[in-house]
Amino acid sequence: MPGRWRLQPTWLTFLLSFLCLLLAWQLLVLWGEYDRFLLPGPLDVARQFGVVWQDGRLLKHSWITFSEVLPGLLLGILIATPLGYLLSKSSLAERLISPYLIASQAIPIIAIAPLLTIWVQSTYWSRVLVSVLVVFFPILINVVAGLRSVPSEMYELLRSLRATRWQIFRKLELPAALPVVLAGLKVGATLSVIGALVGEFVQPKSDGLGFLLITARYQFKTDLVFVVIITLGLMALGLYGVVSGLERWLLRWRKALL
Amino acid sequence: MRKMMYLLWFGLLLGLVACGGSDDAAAELQTIRLPMGYIADPQYAPFYVAVEKGYFAAAGLAIEFDYSFETDGLALVGAGELPFAVVSGEQVLLARAQEVPVVYVLEWFQRYPIAVISRASANITEPADLRGRAVGLPGFFGASYVGYVGLLTANGLTQEDVNASDIGFTQVDTLLADQVEAVVGYANNEPIQLQTRGEAINVLYVADYIDMVANGIITNEETLAQNPELVQSFVNALLHGLQDTLDDPAEAYTISQKYVEGLDDSRMPVLEASLPLWEAEQLGFTDPASWTQTQDVLLAMGLLDAPIADLEAAYTNQFIQASD
Repeated sequence: MPGRWRLQPTWLTFLLSFLCLLLAWQLLVLWGEYDRFLLPGPLDVARQFGVVWQDGRLLKHSWITFSEVLPGLLLGILIATPLGYLLSKSSLAERLISPYLIASQAIPIIAIAPLLTIWVQSTYWSRVLVSVLVVFFPILINVVAGLRSVPSEMYELLRSLRATRWQIFRKLELPAALPVVLAGLKVGATLSVIGALVGEFVQPKSDGLGFLLITARYQFKTDLVFVVIITLGLMALGLYGVVSGLERWLLRWRKALL
Repeated sequence: MRKMMYLLWFGLLLGLVACGGSDDAAAELQTIRLPMGYIADPQYAPFYVAVEKGYFAAAGLAIEFDYSFETDGLALVGAGELPFAVVSGEQVLLARAQEVPVVYVLEWFQRYPIAVISRASANITEPADLRGRAVGLPGFFGASYVGYVGLLTANGLTQEDVNASDIGFTQVDTLLADQVEAVVGYANNEPIQLQTRGEAINVLYVADYIDMVANGIITNEETLAQNPELVQSFVNALLHGLQDTLDDPAEAYTISQKYVEGLDDSRMPVLEASLPLWEAEQLGFTDPASWTQTQDVLLAMGLLDAPIADLEAAYTNQFIQASD
């Protein structure tokens, strides 16, 4: 848009907004005269961040959580994508499976997570499974929505050209559904972090950011609670960024068309 | 017919007056929301008895039980939002280390309730037998972990001497499946479950080897300074409930059934196993030496970075000594 000033989401604007947020936070702590255990200031949190970074705990627990998040997300995609394809293509499958899938979303994950631990008998895989369950549905819904957004006349056109089923998928369905599917993937990526954390809360054992969070609360180290929350946020942000990068790369043809 | 109508009106009027009267009586009571730290359970019988027998009401208090997490209850008391909570001793020290102004005023559990439980066949009859054994803990956090380390420390053992693993809250199943040789649990819970199944077991009670501060009542420094009468009233009422529970556990259990939904007779052994943990020469009294020992264990575990600056300020016996 030449001639019109537009705010670009550059690193500078992000940095400015982040500094404003920190300043507002510190002012809130100062004016409200909150005790450190109720609301620590950004300086307290930064100090605690330094402590757990130096003693290696932050990296260790973050890595463990990430090692649950990633398979959770990937397995969620692997299960939700073909199932979404099946549901969008077969009305019989939709009638048979959809009611169960929708009803399953009414079950609070926190209620079944302890059962998963007993059924799976592996702390690691029960945590991964919780993550899978959390990411599964938004990805599935977006796969179905993406495939259904393909105009029917496009199908007719390809069929008239005697395209095979694989060609229809490759040349029509995949590119047409990809923007919506990737939007679902963005949601799933952030939710996978929450899923792993729920799993760690239910089965804290002795590792992961969930364990660190429980320990911090047990020790009334609210500044450490904030460090964990911020780390989780950064992890979700990182995954979101990766999916966004993937989106830009996969959908670069759209930019070329514009 | 007219007589009937008069009677009906009279009855209605009487009912309204009675209702008004009870409202006034209720209005005079100060409602205390009390965080308990765990779900409704017969272990809370002393509290239920004190309510049911009117000890709290006689002190001008109406108790509203709040079964939220222990840490949340402590934070609310520390922030001055609530006057009391049921909290364990080590939590008080951990909180005071973070400048949370809470003070322990009544030691309900006189014995630290954690124990190491093993099958009789494992032949673990004293702490030294734990050396090199596979021991399962719910996790390396919380009261179980603190009690376990306390037991080791008091017997000259270190954590490296024992092959400990975290097994979640599956102690009974894990022990029965022979996945570990001993488990760490609550003295009034897991041993009862195993005995009910007919298992021959050995129990090492942490409290037999080290005196650490367990569950009790906390208040905050503000309430202590500005409203000591409230603390005294609360302590007096609870001590009466505790004494009555010890005197007549069967009655206390029946009262608990009003407060614990779906409580049948199967959990009476839990209450019976809890009684020895509460008994004392002077109920509610907290021993200063037990605070030092608790602090030492927390320091050894790295849960405390340094000794508490003013350890004596973490607890007081003034209300126990002044109780009626």
